[in-house]
Amino acid sequence: MRRYRTAIIEPASVIGEGIASMLSASGEVEILFCCRSVAEAKAYIRSHDEVELLFVAASLAPQLNGMPLFDNVPMIAIQSTLVESEVLRRFAAVVTTFSTTEELLRTLHETLDRAAEPGYNESHELSERERDVLVLVARGYTNKEIASELNISPHTVISHRKNIVHKTGIRSVAGLTVYAVLNKLITNEQL
Amino acid sequence: MNKINYRGATSLLSPEMKIFELIDAHPVLLSVFSRLGITLPFGDISVEQMCRRGGHSPELFLILCRMHIDTSFRPRPSELREDMLLSVVGYLRATHRYYTEYMLPHAGEHLDEILEYCDELSRSMLTKFYSDYVRYIEQHLEEEEQTIFANVESAAAGSRINLASLEVPHSDIDDRTNDIASLIIKCLPEAAPTHLRCAMLSHIYALRDDLRRHYNVEVALLRPLIAQTLNTPKQ
Repeated sequence: MRRYRTAIIEPASVIGEGIASMLSASGEVEILFCCRSVAEAKAYIRSHDEVELLFVAASLAPQLNGMPLFDNVPMIAIQSTLVESEVLRRFAAVVTTFSTTEELLRTLHETLDRAAEPGYNESHELSERERDVLVLVARGYTNKEIASELNISPHTVISHRKNIVHKTGIRSVAGLTVYAVLNKLITNEQL
Repeated sequence: MNKINYRGATSLLSPEMKIFELIDAHPVLLSVFSRLGITLPFGDISVEQMCRRGGHSPELFLILCRMHIDTSFRPRPSELREDMLLSVVGYLRATHRYYTEYMLPHAGEHLDEILEYCDELSRSMLTKFYSDYVRYIEQHLEEEEQTIFANVESAAAGSRINLASLEVPHSDIDDRTNDIASLIIKCLPEAAPTHLRCAMLSHIYALRDDLRRHYNVEVALLRPLIAQTLNTPKQ
């Protein structure tokens, strides 16, 4: 059975570990990491590039601003205290400390289904990782070479390349190379 | 069971229609006239009169007009006749000339005007990108002329040919044309005046749409005509 690669950022260990254990027990979810702060998650997410979904404590929302690493990963808020509705609006969905395993899984499925719909991610800015991939594409690397260089799977490279094409509107390698140069992501000498 | 073929607004075109009415309703058809070698002025004649005068089949002319107006239009097999094959090849050859002698050079001139406002690196990258694009299209058109068109003409003249050599080759011209539009919209420096960018974009989109119609004529008209005409045993 396909297992959804999920991570959790929750300062209260008992909540984070509890949700991790409920999701893992379902057999549908693989918990890639469960950490207590955004800074820790930043380090983890660099080495776990295949995160499909994040459960994040709603109280950490302000710390996520301006973090391109999290741009393309749908996030579900974990609400354990009173939080302003404005804060919750930046998440794809919300679960609470009272949610059952069934509710957690239903929210997870709904969020991933919505994320798979075209146009879900309205940002047309390339994420940091997509820029890394684009530069290597422009330098003539194959998907396999890009995967090895960035320490990610070829499947993830393909996914990044799809996002790059969607966001730039450019499909050919020659066109993407011009795009990278004109946007100063790479110099002529680096090509 | 016969499938219902909804033909929409293109069913309103008829041999009795005045040329003026046709062009007035669908100015995009002017390029069909020029590719068939039909020149202005038309006076007050009908489609049928104009075709008879120029030695063209009114039925084929209307099929081409319908395909030009509506890219989803497909002629019925019963509408296709053997004598249309060479005329369609002639039409497609003229379309190739329209691209290589007018559309592509003209877009290149627009690009040159824009590039005057770009730095050296952008200029050299975009110039190379566009010249590679033009070369790619020219090679594709050349391949079609050397293989499909030449073989169809040989077969029509009685030579035995391999029908497999008449497949329309796949290309990613559409993607490449869209890439040019995306680069102009998203990457060119602000210094390039808007009216120059818009002129270039209008030209590129017109080229893209025309290339799509061209491909449609190859797939939905030339291919069935080849199958119908060259597969039919001669009595």
